Amino acid sequence: MKPSRDTLFFALLFFVSLPLVLLVVLPLTRMLTQPGLADLWEAIADPVVLRALARSVGTSLAAAGICLVFGTPLAYVLARKAFPGKRLVEGIVDLPIMIPHPVIGIAILSLAGRNHPLGQFLNGLGIQVMGTYWGIIAVLAFVGLPFFVNTTKAGFESVPSRLENASRSLGAGVGHTLFRITLPLSWPHIVLGMIMCTARAISEFGAIVIVAYHPMTAPVLIYERFTAYGLRYSQPICVWLIVISFLLFVGMRFVSRHRRVEA
Amino acid sequence: MIKVQDFEVRVPGFHLQSVSLNAGPEDVFALIGPTGSGKSLLLEGIAGLVPAAKGSVQIGGEDMTRRPPESRGLGLVYQDTALFPHLSVRENILYGTRYHALDTRTVQSRFDRFVRRLNLKNLLDRSPVRLSGGEKQRVALARALMLQPRALLLDEPISSLDPLFRDAIRELLRSLHQELHIPFILVSHNFSEVLYLANRGAILRRGRIEQSGTIRALFERPETPFVARFVGMQNLWRCSAREGWARVGDLKIRLNGPAVQGDDVFLALRPEDIDRVRENAHEYENVFQGRVVALDGRGFYVRVALDVKGVRFSAFWTRQVVSRHSLEPGQTVRIGFSSGSLHTIRVDAGQSADEGTLDGALDL
Repeated sequence: MKPSRDTLFFALLFFVSLPLVLLVVLPLTRMLTQPGLADLWEAIADPVVLRALARSVGTSLAAAGICLVFGTPLAYVLARKAFPGKRLVEGIVDLPIMIPHPVIGIAILSLAGRNHPLGQFLNGLGIQVMGTYWGIIAVLAFVGLPFFVNTTKAGFESVPSRLENASRSLGAGVGHTLFRITLPLSWPHIVLGMIMCTARAISEFGAIVIVAYHPMTAPVLIYERFTAYGLRYSQPICVWLIVISFLLFVGMRFVSRHRRVEA
Repeated sequence: MIKVQDFEVRVPGFHLQSVSLNAGPEDVFALIGPTGSGKSLLLEGIAGLVPAAKGSVQIGGEDMTRRPPESRGLGLVYQDTALFPHLSVRENILYGTRYHALDTRTVQSRFDRFVRRLNLKNLLDRSPVRLSGGEKQRVALARALMLQPRALLLDEPISSLDPLFRDAIRELLRSLHQELHIPFILVSHNFSEVLYLANRGAILRRGRIEQSGTIRALFERPETPFVARFVGMQNLWRCSAREGWARVGDLKIRLNGPAVQGDDVFLALRPEDIDRVRENAHEYENVFQGRVVALDGRGFYVRVALDVKGVRFSAFWTRQVVSRHSLEPGQTVRIGFSSGSLHTIRVDAGQSADEGTLDGALDL
């Protein structure tokens, strides 16, 4: 059968975009296939690498958890209510995407230092930001927040307010309606928001390297190995980071689907 | 009993104002009006889903104006039924029971009653997502009726259904109303639905009630030119009316019964009340010779535009009438209508009596 003109047109459009797709695919394939199995094994057997990977995953999940607890209410308010200054709040939520990463790190450090009341307060509680997990998680929550809030907000918006109205008319208050109708229906979006937030957090380097060079997360370790030993020594860690991230996201997707079927 | 008084709701871009109505257990009260007239907003205001800016809503003698929707005891059924897609049909029906301090036996007996009454037995374990429109509507009714609401609010319950299911749901609603003895408030823009179900109603326009009363009065004795147009009196002329005669341009039309008198009044006539008559026929007080200007097929009938001494008439005739007389533009025909089907309206009645804006507001 002769392809129709429409098909040819769309094929042409696709070919125009092909260089961009290759720009993503080629380096990643090269990097994933270059290290041999022995290199990979050697890397993962190295306790420093293992700890850095675990640290990256752990702190990223912690940041996503913080976004879940503190970001979900904000996402709901933004999805459902019109109020003066809403645009401003939405702008603030988007801000972390726009700010250069080292700037984020410096900003957080300047707030947590001894010269600022908040820093003094945290110090009083025994919380140090510079070079600690606290600092890493704070940075990661900062950079992951827009991804979580915007995705979750879209999820809430996708639940028709008529469903909430029907629930109210049946006797359920606002709280019950939120927990019995709105949250279960937007749950897949919330999980997606956590995945996006975690993904963004795992890849963060620029802000972390300022706030906490140590304890070392995987991106910082990759950078260190690259500058100290070169390409060959950083690649296996990159592969492991990609593999672990991938498994993590597949797992979260699976869990969310499972939850949905149960509901 | 639902009593709404001087009710006012403000939402961005819309203002519903000075609405008063009441509906008792014997009433199916229809809220009728064009899109954007505020009828659904009024329904949501009564349900407590949008806050009242002014006025009051009483339900069963209790002032509910400041009460949240969950404590008003009203059943709400939407056009799209708003069934919860993540719950089964059974869970949907039982959704509200836990908020109403009902013991298990009451819940069970009501559940059995409505499952039987609405024929839902085979659907209970299914997901509402895959039900037909009629089935969804029945589930939504059962879900609301489980809680024995003090009134049922229906937002265009039939419009979105397949024609196949429409009659069945219409009949179901009518018999449910007779069984339950609670007021139904029905938002609709479908006249056959309103004429079949409702006994009283109000016509809304731009957030105000233009006319309210019995459905008969709304459809037969519109008080404003807008209502006349809206209920289908497409022939609407300005005329002078005196002592049983109306003058529209050069035409003298015989009136009958109580008519508004004056140099400037509206005269209204339904297109379906204009008949095509033979030579020397005497069944109508008003018989004129006219010229066919245009024919416009509208499915089961044809809209015929006629010119009678410079006055425009619009008549609905069946396709049979049109083909039997092989009507076509330019042809001369005799038309007749009884003076009983004519209706006069004061020119200053309603929000705006301007004919130009009327034509713009409605294209029926």
